[in-house]
Amino acid sequence: MKSAAPASPVGHVSHDESALLDLLESLKQRHGFVPREVSDEVSRLVEVKLERLRRIQSQLDTTIRRDVQQHVAHWREEEGNLIMILHAIQNQHGYVPREVAMELSRELGVKLARIYEVITFYHYFKLQPPGAHTVTVCNGTACYLKGSGELLNELRSQLGIAEGQTTPDRQIHLDTVRCIGCCGMAPAIVVDGKTCGHVKSSEIAGHLAGLRAKKEAVA
Amino acid sequence: MKTLTRQELEDFAANPPANPPEWIRVQLDTGGIAAGAEAVHAALAHEREERKLLFSLQRAGSIGYSFADPVIEVQAPGMPRIHYGHVTPELVGQVIEDHLRDRRLIDDHVIATRQRAVTLDGPVTHLLVRDTGPETGSKTEFFQFSFTEELKRRGLAERVQVVRALDIGVYEEGAVIQLLPSGVTYANVLAPDVARIVAESIEGGRVIDDLLWKTPDRQVRIVLRNCGDVDPDSLDDYLRRASGYQGLRRALFESNPEQVIAELKASGLRGRGGAGFPTWMKWQLTRAQPAPQRYVICNGDEGDPGAFMDRSVLESDPHSVLEGMMIAAYAMGASKGYFYIRAEYPKAVERIERAIRQAREQGLLGKNILGSTFSFEAKVRLGAGAFVCGEETALIASIEGRRGSPSPRPPYPSVRGLWGMPTAINNVETLACVPAILTRGGAWFAGFGTETSKGTKVFAVTGKVRNAQLVEVPMGTTLREIIYEVCGGVLDGREIKAVQTGGPSGGVIPVQHLDTRVSYESLQQLGSIMGSGGMLVMDKTDSMVEVAKFYLKFCVDESCGKCAPCRIGGYQLLQILDRISRGRGSAGDLALIQRICQAMQRASLCGLGQTAPNPVLSTLRYFGEEYQAFIEGGPSYARKVSRGSASPAKAPERTGTTPPVNPTPSNR
Ligand SMILES: Cc1cc2nc3c(=O)[nH]c(=O)nc-3n(C[C@H](O)[C@H](O)[C@H](O)COP(=O)(O)O)c2cc1C
Ligand code: SF4
Ligand code: FES
Repeated sequence: MKSAAPASPVGHVSHDESALLDLLESLKQRHGFVPREVSDEVSRLVEVKLERLRRIQSQLDTTIRRDVQQHVAHWREEEGNLIMILHAIQNQHGYVPREVAMELSRELGVKLARIYEVITFYHYFKLQPPGAHTVTVCNGTACYLKGSGELLNELRSQLGIAEGQTTPDRQIHLDTVRCIGCCGMAPAIVVDGKTCGHVKSSEIAGHLAGLRAKKEAVA
Repeated sequence: MKTLTRQELEDFAANPPANPPEWIRVQLDTGGIAAGAEAVHAALAHEREERKLLFSLQRAGSIGYSFADPVIEVQAPGMPRIHYGHVTPELVGQVIEDHLRDRRLIDDHVIATRQRAVTLDGPVTHLLVRDTGPETGSKTEFFQFSFTEELKRRGLAERVQVVRALDIGVYEEGAVIQLLPSGVTYANVLAPDVARIVAESIEGGRVIDDLLWKTPDRQVRIVLRNCGDVDPDSLDDYLRRASGYQGLRRALFESNPEQVIAELKASGLRGRGGAGFPTWMKWQLTRAQPAPQRYVICNGDEGDPGAFMDRSVLESDPHSVLEGMMIAAYAMGASKGYFYIRAEYPKAVERIERAIRQAREQGLLGKNILGSTFSFEAKVRLGAGAFVCGEETALIASIEGRRGSPSPRPPYPSVRGLWGMPTAINNVETLACVPAILTRGGAWFAGFGTETSKGTKVFAVTGKVRNAQLVEVPMGTTLREIIYEVCGGVLDGREIKAVQTGGPSGGVIPVQHLDTRVSYESLQQLGSIMGSGGMLVMDKTDSMVEVAKFYLKFCVDESCGKCAPCRIGGYQLLQILDRISRGRGSAGDLALIQRICQAMQRASLCGLGQTAPNPVLSTLRYFGEEYQAFIEGGPSYARKVSRGSASPAKAPERTGTTPPVNPTPSNR
């Protein structure tokens, strides 16, 4: 469940808002003033919208709190449980959202700074949501010797991003990993969880086209 | 749920069950799955259902043949067990019809057995053939044809099938054939030998001595004893078919903790995670500390990028590692254990967690195990992508839920470890040896290896090698034997330049030292280390400066930054190497490198910083001319020198400070 996605309702509101403003503007131009009925109706609409937003917000808070409480309950008895809880959170969301980290800090009674200290120390924990698709290049020694550097260069230039980054449209995330245990198929890349071996840089374009096609099919 | 009893365990040992007559085992480790093993398993299950067949379809871990993934093993009544590599769902029909029904093997997929025989027992049924000469494979079809024709001529074609092998286990020895079911192998077979082999061996049942390949297999499987054989998801399979938990039974009921430690001492087992500290001594020291609680930790962080021994063992035989941990705990009086495993190894985590759950259900974990006074609990903790957490004190910090920063030793973990209690940290491979030592005896284990390095070692051989795979050999085997005899030599028949062992903490060993017998001491003398078992083969096209830079960059990225020599020294060193590899190095750089390296070795707090200079120093020691070439002639000239196509003595005069024409470094 991706609970931390307030971006879309907000987006809707601002869209509606601009339509409303347009309407008000045209009323003012045509009649020189905004009739009382209209302005009342507008403020009622705004109230309704705000109320809906507050509801979403509080639902979100409850979900976050409930989820965090569940994770903490599961690990309550264990000493040194912070890292295991962070793993559970990242498994759920794909990263560690700030709101969740804050809730965790309250629930565990641990300073937020200490939680962030741990999150930032370990490369595995991410603070940004992952892209819709991920391409991971193995940069273990076997793959390195067999040309993973060229694959990475090709991906960097085709996507216009560096490893660890996501394309601006949040569609494709580029990452590196150390040895995925398929050294027999070096150089290897992982495209959305599927491992591809003996990859050549000329094949990169095809893999990316495949992902983009997937994206269109979903959209 | 009914729990296992001591009596049942004894019965399992006394009466191992018979295997079903007909089975297919699919090797489902991470490598196999990535290559499509799940689809193969699904196709087999489907066909079995569809055709109402009776063969038993089993899941297993990996035997280690990474080069041939996905791998399956097939047993048909009256036939030897056969491994097939590069199996696809499309091949499944053939496996069932040709192999199981018609007793015919499938061309181009058979991986010949390494258990080669020198006597023929029983009539030959199949003849495997593979040309291993300079143009590998080119004459395989010719020999298949010749043998088939000769067999037809003598009316034997119905009885003996000639099969092209995917891999025959002998390399650079011309045409090689193997007679099944015995496993008698002939090498350097020439066209005129065809008639002779058919007449004498196949018809006459006699071994032809001048063709016989007598070199036995170099491998001895102790750690990997069950890998590829048992179902890693089944405790029952481990108990019945792999003498599972018999080592624990012997420890609990036939010896006391001191005797277990004595057995370990007799075995000479030393830690397989890198440093090679005697395992019995570590246990003894931990045991000797008075404390209300002691811990045992299995280090499954496997940080060496490109090594996968520990992952493979955890995925293929998790119960062996758990059993080893329990024996260790019994010996040192620990009641709690942790597996610290990389989060990047989800299959290993899943399988060890399942193993723990099964063991708990059967009463092998918990209070009063098997009715003894020994109680033990095991848990899994995940790493989170920090190489330094493989270091003992950092690992402990990480299990405690903190940043994985190393702390000064002493106190050693055996004195003050996890939550301040005495703790023994053992590598996965170390623990996997333990049940075998308990069941077969320390003296048996010590019978393998050298004077100071006993037993066997698993290596993950990768890079420019023909067959990237897991190899387990007795200590004292030479690098040449490992690379040429077991793994088939260098890819594409190129020339080998060096071998890297020990990963980012290790060094390169140049070709002139390939006959070194592998031991903790010999590798250290050469400026490398045993490490955890990564072995990277490099050929003439690989630039040693680039390789050194690769490992150093890894260490710089992974430095925790706690102490200056490692943090600053590493960064400076990387900058110098970068400068050199772009052709901007100066004559004084090499001396500067030496100085920084020494400072890092001496003053760094933990093993990461202390050993990070090793790849640089060892490449400098053996391949100083490649560094010189970069400095004196720029990258494109250096590339020629590193390939051996330009002699370093004739460096072109470079004018003043003109930047090189083509400053792009390349590793090709
Ligand atoms: C930076 C660093 C990384 C290490 N990584 C590992 C590792 O991945 N696996 C491992 O078993 N030991 C690793 N070690 C060695 C361990 O600290 C420790 O010596 C070992 O686990 C002890 O087990 P053993 O006696 O069975 O070898 C590492 C050491 C250092 C300094
Ligand atoms: S040597 Fe490096 S990794 Fe080790 S403690 Fe110092 S900075 Fe950290
Ligand atoms: S190094 Fe890439 S899979 Fe092992």
